[in-house]
Amino acid sequence: MSGPGRPGRDDSPDRLYTLTGGRSRSGENSPFDLVTLVVAECDPAPGMQSEHAAILRMTERPTAVVEIAAELRLPVSITKILLTDLLDAGRVSARHPRREAVPDLDILEQVLVGLRNL
Amino acid sequence: MTSPTPSGERPSLRGLLPALVLTAVPAALAVACAVVVAPDSVRVPLALGGSAAGLLLCAAVAVAVHGVLSARAVRHRLESVTQDLSRALQERARFAEETRQERIRLTGELDRERTRLTAELDHERTRLAESLAAERARLTEEHAAESARLADEHAAESARLAEGHAAERARLTEENARLAARLREAESLRSAAVSATANAAGRMQALATGMLADLRAMEERHSDEDVLADLLHLDHRTAQAGRLADSVAVLTGARSGRRWARPIGMESILRGAMGRINGYQRVRVHSTSGAAVAGHAAEAVMHALAELLDNAANFSPPTAEVHVYVEEVPAGAIVSVEDSGLVMGEAQLRRAERAVSGEGTGFGGLTGTRLGLAVVGRLARRYGLKVSFRPSARGGTGVLMLVPQDILVARDGSAAPAGPAAVQAAPAARALPSAASPAPELPRRRGASPAAAPEQAAGTARAAAPAGTGADPGPEPTHESPAPSPASPDADALPRRRRGRTLAEAERARSANRSAPQRPAPTPEETRTRAARFGSFRQAVRGTPEPSGTARGTAGPAPGGDVSGPGPASGPAPDGHAPDSGAAGTAPTAPAPSHPHPHPEGDPTS
Repeated sequence: MSGPGRPGRDDSPDRLYTLTGGRSRSGENSPFDLVTLVVAECDPAPGMQSEHAAILRMTERPTAVVEIAAELRLPVSITKILLTDLLDAGRVSARHPRREAVPDLDILEQVLVGLRNL
Repeated sequence: MTSPTPSGERPSLRGLLPALVLTAVPAALAVACAVVVAPDSVRVPLALGGSAAGLLLCAAVAVAVHGVLSARAVRHRLESVTQDLSRALQERARFAEETRQERIRLTGELDRERTRLTAELDHERTRLAESLAAERARLTEEHAAESARLADEHAAESARLAEGHAAERARLTEENARLAARLREAESLRSAAVSATANAAGRMQALATGMLADLRAMEERHSDEDVLADLLHLDHRTAQAGRLADSVAVLTGARSGRRWARPIGMESILRGAMGRINGYQRVRVHSTSGAAVAGHAAEAVMHALAELLDNAANFSPPTAEVHVYVEEVPAGAIVSVEDSGLVMGEAQLRRAERAVSGEGTGFGGLTGTRLGLAVVGRLARRYGLKVSFRPSARGGTGVLMLVPQDILVARDGSAAPAGPAAVQAAPAARALPSAASPAPELPRRRGASPAAAPEQAAGTARAAAPAGTGADPGPEPTHESPAPSPASPDADALPRRRRGRTLAEAERARSANRSAPQRPAPTPEETRTRAARFGSFRQAVRGTPEPSGTARGTAGPAPGGDVSGPGPASGPAPDGHAPDSGAAGTAPTAPAPSHPHPHPEGDPTS
């Protein structure tokens, strides 16, 4: 998380473990993966953890987990823990993208190979 | 005097008798003759007459005789009285004579006695005068001798004392010089030790800061939850080590840790403080405050709060929670830390109050294990924090820390983390402070104009743009490097330093300046970002173990990976994977999987 001009520096005093209360796992049966779409079920409330509020603002429209992580500039695992908290509180709902929209793995590999050959 | 003479007094009968007889008898004879001779006719009258005349004659003779006798007696008495008188006169003369003689005698005696006494007196007086004079002379002499002796003794004693005094003084002077030398030596030793400690602490701080940044970068990079857990553990330990280094640095008078280039929101302050203590999971934060602490003071506030939280957590039962409340008041923001542990005693409370008042600046009261309150005291003194203790309603001790208004910066209520959406807002927000160049003290209160104006400017990019970043220019150069034209005049101008900004700020401005020429052609950067994202995406989708071996291909990957996964890259969302421009410019295709270290790790302490 270091800016390009200042190697070795991060720009926020928050340590990641303080965001999650020390947890580093989102649980065994976490419904979230990278592309799970998340939709907010309520508006951010005052006194809420700022990341939760930001997630709720961000997911007024369905948003993928990776996007949320990128917006928050947090690792995906941490984001998943935050999302699990929100899901447990009923503040967001998650759904997977439709199966049909998911291309085959072979196609993806082919695309990758093609990109590498560029 | 007069002896009674019976003849003289009572001569009558016996003395008168002869005369009477003598008279009566002739008279009787005369009368008897006359009667016998006289005729018978005249005889009777003649007898009568003649008797009467005889009687009368007898009476007259008696009276005359009586008179003669009386005169004779009186004369006799007179003579005797005269004799008595003369005798008395003689007696008196004799007596007078005697008296005179006696008087003469007495006078003589008196005179003699007087003379004798006078002589005696004179003599005595003379003797006394002499003895007095002698005594006086003796005493005078004695006194003179005593005086001389005492004067001698005094002089000797004075000389001895003066000598002793001089010796003592010389000894003390020597001692003084020796002590002064020792003091100088100790002072120099102390300052050397302090500066060595400060230096070491500073290097420890730099190391800890660098390690924290590295750990953060690693946490970004490794998606494996086991690795992440280990990294977070290391992160926590490193943060505590950094706090200890900060404490030593503060106590040795060095500056406290790093300086932040932008105001830090209260939530981040609290979490930053929590992250540095062991029992952070027991801390419960209740805060709706939108205030932020100015960058130059944020580290100090965090550090002081961390020490207070650590105290509260250490002195309460291991399962009890520590509650933190933030309240905004006109004087600033009050952070109260309440535990349910031990109640401090009176003396303990006084000692703690004295420690946090920052009065004693020496190392006297430090015990080695109780640095915390002394650190708080130093920080409070330097940054005007006010710390007080009181019994907590939770049964333990409550600590109130007032963060004064002049190190607070108003912030918009919903403080979102500085996301990529701030990119659009940043130029507009940056244009204002550089044009108006307000003093950093200006945006103190919520709703002050410098804070409000950026919000208007950022109105187009509402999404998550924190107007708070407008109070201070954008936090990191990351946000400004892709900045459109409004930033360019600022980049051309000389770097301006403002209070609370350090060398890092100038460095940042320089780097912005340097990156300005790259700005017109953002495409390579976007390409790089996309490539990086695609690389990580591919890695996640395929679940292929990395060379280091994140050996869980089943967990992470979503088989239904969307091709539009790189979509977020359309918004310029730079994350930690964005490598340096020089490094990735040559190989934009697949830098991430093969090269997991986007920037050099070797100089974290630079």
